Amino acid sequence: MKVDKTLIASVSLHVLVIGWGLISFSARSLEAPPPESMPVDIISADQLSKITAGIKTGEKDKPKPPVEKIADAKPVDDAVGKITEKKEIVTASAPEPPPKPVEKPVEKKPDPPKPVAENKPKDEPKPIEKKPDPPKVDPIAEALKSEDTKKPVPKPEAKAAPPQPPKPKQERTFDQSKIAALLDKRDPTRQAMTGSALNSSASLGTTRGTAATLSQSELDAMRARLASLWNVQPGVEHPEELFVTIRIRLNPDRRLAAPPQVVSTGSSSRYQAAADAAVRAVLQGQPYTMLRDETYEQWKYMDIDFDPKQMFHS
Amino acid sequence: MPVTSFSLPPLPLRRRDLLIGGAGAAAGLLLPSLASAQTKLQVTEGNVAPLPIAIPNFVAGTPSDGEVGVGVAQVITNNLKRSGLFAPIDQAAFIEKIINIDAAPQFQSWKTINAQALVTGRMTRQGDGRLKAEFRLWDVAAGQQLTGQQYFTSPEYWRRIAHIISDQIYERLTGEKGYFDSRVVFVDETGSKERRVKRLALMDQDGANVRYLTRGSDLVLTPRFSPSTQEITYMEFGQGDPRVYLFNIETGQREIVGNFPGMSFSPRFSPDGQRVIMSLQQGGNSNLFVMDLRSKSTTRLTDTPAIDTSPSYAPDGTRICFESDRGGKPQIYVMPATGGPAQRISFGEGSYSTPVWSPRGDYIAFTKQGGGQFSIGIMKPDGSGERILTSGFHNEGPTFAPNGRVLMFFRDPGGNGGPSLFTVDISGRNEQRVPTPGFASDPAWSPLLS
Repeated sequence: MKVDKTLIASVSLHVLVIGWGLISFSARSLEAPPPESMPVDIISADQLSKITAGIKTGEKDKPKPPVEKIADAKPVDDAVGKITEKKEIVTASAPEPPPKPVEKPVEKKPDPPKPVAENKPKDEPKPIEKKPDPPKVDPIAEALKSEDTKKPVPKPEAKAAPPQPPKPKQERTFDQSKIAALLDKRDPTRQAMTGSALNSSASLGTTRGTAATLSQSELDAMRARLASLWNVQPGVEHPEELFVTIRIRLNPDRRLAAPPQVVSTGSSSRYQAAADAAVRAVLQGQPYTMLRDETYEQWKYMDIDFDPKQMFHS
Repeated sequence: MPVTSFSLPPLPLRRRDLLIGGAGAAAGLLLPSLASAQTKLQVTEGNVAPLPIAIPNFVAGTPSDGEVGVGVAQVITNNLKRSGLFAPIDQAAFIEKIINIDAAPQFQSWKTINAQALVTGRMTRQGDGRLKAEFRLWDVAAGQQLTGQQYFTSPEYWRRIAHIISDQIYERLTGEKGYFDSRVVFVDETGSKERRVKRLALMDQDGANVRYLTRGSDLVLTPRFSPSTQEITYMEFGQGDPRVYLFNIETGQREIVGNFPGMSFSPRFSPDGQRVIMSLQQGGNSNLFVMDLRSKSTTRLTDTPAIDTSPSYAPDGTRICFESDRGGKPQIYVMPATGGPAQRISFGEGSYSTPVWSPRGDYIAFTKQGGGQFSIGIMKPDGSGERILTSGFHNEGPTFAPNGRVLMFFRDPGGNGGPSLFTVDISGRNEQRVPTPGFASDPAWSPLLS
């Protein structure tokens, strides 16, 4: 039997191709790229607002990489010397990471800027351990600290930024972890600083987040009270000229701390009469019992506009 | 005039009389700088209600002055109440009895009865026979004196004192000039409908002190005040054609204005009182003429084949409004006071007549006839913003109060009755009948007497 060489070649080639395909493709399909672990913190709305506030300012961190290079040596020393205890907490969970950053730091620094990286970078397997610890200590405080630290650092380092940008582009993946390690070390050094800073930042947080706001119902109730007492002449001509603004200062007992002041101006006798009527209404309205104690800061000073225009628009 | 006035200085107030003491006032000076982040509150709805005001009887300076003290308080109360802008509080509700007007009242006791303003006063017969009237107007809420005056006059003028005080209160609390110290001339009508006797009469704006100026033998119509308030001009049917007359209230003298062939009618003074503008009949038409009272020279203002009548000057004397049927039906026109092109300003349904320019200059009042009704209305001098204030079987002859806020007119309900006088605010509110001894028509409001 003659065997067609071409057939043999065809079969053998097909087998080769299919075989290669089976091997190569099946192998690839099996490759599962290790998913990067995403640190997830569950935080309250208040914390979110504070963190987001921090991020806005934190964008300036991009210049940080340059600083880190310069600071590589120094931050480590300082951190150890100044705050041993705090370091231990961080390092205890991540003993292994330090070696890695030392090797690759120069090249990898560029992208790290984001604060989130702090926890992740050190060790991919261990991040889970590290993350839980810091949050336990002070999730909010850390966020505040990171905000605080970012602000001071960026400005001075900004000058150094231009020369170094090219390097980071070459190797992205490793840089983050190294930078994160550096950042971690810095944080502790600044904890000493934040200790004093904590008070101011904390107080800012409370005023924004928890200060009671003057509710619409309080304002409506006060408006209704004044409207019932504000005596407007029927059929007054040119009411648009009789817009009166009264400035008042209230004591916590909801009574006027000083006579009402007419802060708008007008010279006509009609205006004088309108201003008198507005002052009478404000005087008669006290005490303004509808105002709550919690909102005192907001009703301590008030400007009240008395505008008869809409009453006579016809 | 028989009244002299002096302003009363504000009383030195004791601190305990005030809601807020001097310390508060000092703090108030610092307020603007301290107040950085105020809460803003907008109040756009108010209480359109008369202002509650307390007017206790004026204190008697001497034992014999009690009666006049009560009378003055009553006249003031009546004036303010009729204006529709004030709600005088019944004296029975008063807690504090005012016995000394030179001490600050106890504001708390007036606040309790919801008084926003308080009037205290004293009438004292002087050694020389004159009467001294003092009053103070208080802002109850603020605990402050708003105004204070004293007047000297002869005792028979006590009502005028009350009117003057009313004007002071009105002006201070509303910001507009008052109109209480003024008079009204009108045509008094008595007798049956068939034999009606019409006399010129003069009274205070509140209906008091009625005086008859003519005896009623001749028919009189359309009396008008001069700015001096001492003269009136009117039309009278004498033996022949109706004529325009001048009449001096003080002396009782009267004279014919000009000597024209045919009828002369619907006279009115110029704002300076030096001229009289009127209609003169010429055939089946009438035209407007103005006569200088000193030189007696007469100037023709219109020359149309139509009936031009009821002229009225703008308060600045530069323009006149009048009624003309040159377009078919009677309508209102405005033209320069020296004559010239006239511009029609009334375009509503029906016909318009008896225009009169407000002393404030902002409105022209008119009688409007249409739909079987006579209405009183106002419109701006450019014809916009027409507003009907009252309508009915027969309303006619509007005349403005000196401050331009109130109109007086006469209303005839029809039937066997007769006409009577009414006032209405130019907003259309607060229609009030004016008390007259009998039937009354053709009112004309005087300027303020002082």
